[in-house]
Amino acid sequence: MDEILTREEVLHVADLAKIRIKEEEMEKYQKELKIIFNDIEKINEVEGYDDDIIIAPFSSEARLRDDEVERHIEIESTLKNVPRHSGNYIEVPVVINE
Amino acid sequence: MSNYIPTIGIEVHVELKTNTKIFSPSRNGYGMSANTLVNEIDLGYPGTLPLINREVLNIAIKAAKVLHCNIRKEMHFDRKNYFYPDNPKNYQITQARTPIGYDGYVEIEVDGKIKKIEIEEMHIEEDTCKSAHRKNVTLLDFNRAGVPLIEIVTKPCINSSKEAMLYIEKLRETLLYANISDCKIEEGSMRCDCNVSIRKSEDSPFGTKVEVKNIGSISNVGLSVEKEIVRQTELYDKGESFKEQTRRFDSKLNDTVLMRIKETGNDYRYFPEPDIPYVYLTDEMINKVTSTIPLLPDERRELYKGRNISKINIEKIIANKSLSDFLNNFLEEKIDFQVASNLLLGDISSYLNKEGKIITDTMLDNERFIDLVNRSSTRELTSKNIKEILVDLLESDKTLDEIIKDKGINNINDESVVKDIVLQVLAENEESVRDYLEGHDRALKYLMGQVMKISKGSADPLLASDLLKEFLDKKK
Repeated sequence: MDEILTREEVLHVADLAKIRIKEEEMEKYQKELKIIFNDIEKINEVEGYDDDIIIAPFSSEARLRDDEVERHIEIESTLKNVPRHSGNYIEVPVVINE
Repeated sequence: MSNYIPTIGIEVHVELKTNTKIFSPSRNGYGMSANTLVNEIDLGYPGTLPLINREVLNIAIKAAKVLHCNIRKEMHFDRKNYFYPDNPKNYQITQARTPIGYDGYVEIEVDGKIKKIEIEEMHIEEDTCKSAHRKNVTLLDFNRAGVPLIEIVTKPCINSSKEAMLYIEKLRETLLYANISDCKIEEGSMRCDCNVSIRKSEDSPFGTKVEVKNIGSISNVGLSVEKEIVRQTELYDKGESFKEQTRRFDSKLNDTVLMRIKETGNDYRYFPEPDIPYVYLTDEMINKVTSTIPLLPDERRELYKGRNISKINIEKIIANKSLSDFLNNFLEEKIDFQVASNLLLGDISSYLNKEGKIITDTMLDNERFIDLVNRSSTRELTSKNIKEILVDLLESDKTLDEIIKDKGINNINDESVVKDIVLQVLAENEESVRDYLEGHDRALKYLMGQVMKISKGSADPLLASDLLKEFLDKKK
């Protein structure tokens, strides 16, 4: 097992997390992320994991809801919780091509 | 340009017709003021928990059934992780590992042959909010966030733009008839993405895949596949290769436009949604839903075929569900179904289109429709008569006899009476008779006009025309 992640692996994770990593931080992340990855590898080694997905430690059944409208948040309250809005729309910085 | 074999797989998202959203009790509605149909769950506030809408499972079971899928009885949901403002939780709740339906098919008719379009799987997921990109800002409307969707994924088994369009049409028709979705492509309640690649022969490996996203109409599905095949063929012919990419169809340019190159495969880091325990479907649930499935288009086609309705009329009736539902009221009656379908598609449809109504909005009941069909097939009522009485028939509860009396319709369909009029016309219009015998067909129309004039429009036109021709032919 390699001791550290490759630069490419770290950059890929950073890209998924939408964060920028400074060059001086690279070595630290290569080491630390590897420790986390190794722990996840151990979980993957648990037998039967692939066949029987464990989503909860107990086999409880999802409760279902009737298809009835209950309540909405007043638009004024919704807009109080956002930094910027334009009319009823919530404004965010431009994002395209994702 | 070389010949390549196109391989197409299609992913279709449809919004389900429920009252409320999939995980929250806020209304599932379209066309309302932005951000008025939301609650804390739809906005992804911390501490909220999703609770599944039972009706979503019912409708998804129905969809799986009508698409001939196997149904998975034990399922869970997964988180599809990504960062984008259309989903503030930073994950979409979907079914990556245990789709509710799998191994289904949709049958299409291509050039007279039946082809099965295989469905790999169909799964339930939540819709994201709607984002509108302006010059300096992106605007978000969460009314759509949490609307229940099913995504239907075909195997890469479609080989032409024609097949792609036929598949979407058939899928739309089936989902509409089963009342699963209103399938309005222009309003976004049905959205299509096509994966297109081409290869030299059946034995060659698949070519590089291009995904064309969010195509806004059925004809644009055909066009975008067509354009993509041409574009890829030209590139391969020039010896060029290209990277896997996502494009969109631009209806102004009438072509596909590059959105992004896929440098790496999507990494959504799916994992089971821990906030929703296992979902178990029982046979009771499945049977109950199955019993509510109405007659589907192909079943109707067979029934209509057995009642001698022409193929063209069958397709026109199927294209209008309310007319088809109405016609189904009479399947056990002994009426002329071709005449019935002509009436529905002709004068009745003209009236409905003009008034912006569907047939159940009118006063037309079963008994009077049967009466109308019978009198029309025996020619007791002419097409002209029907035009005269139709509004009264559709807007009042008067019997046909009452309407005919009110309108003063007094048809002459007694052969001896019509014969006398025809002979009178022939005797009084020798010149036109001569013209006809010399090959001027227009003279026949004039003579026919004279018959109708003398009879004050009440001679049965078919009978009159037959008799006119008969006597004229005798003069030859």
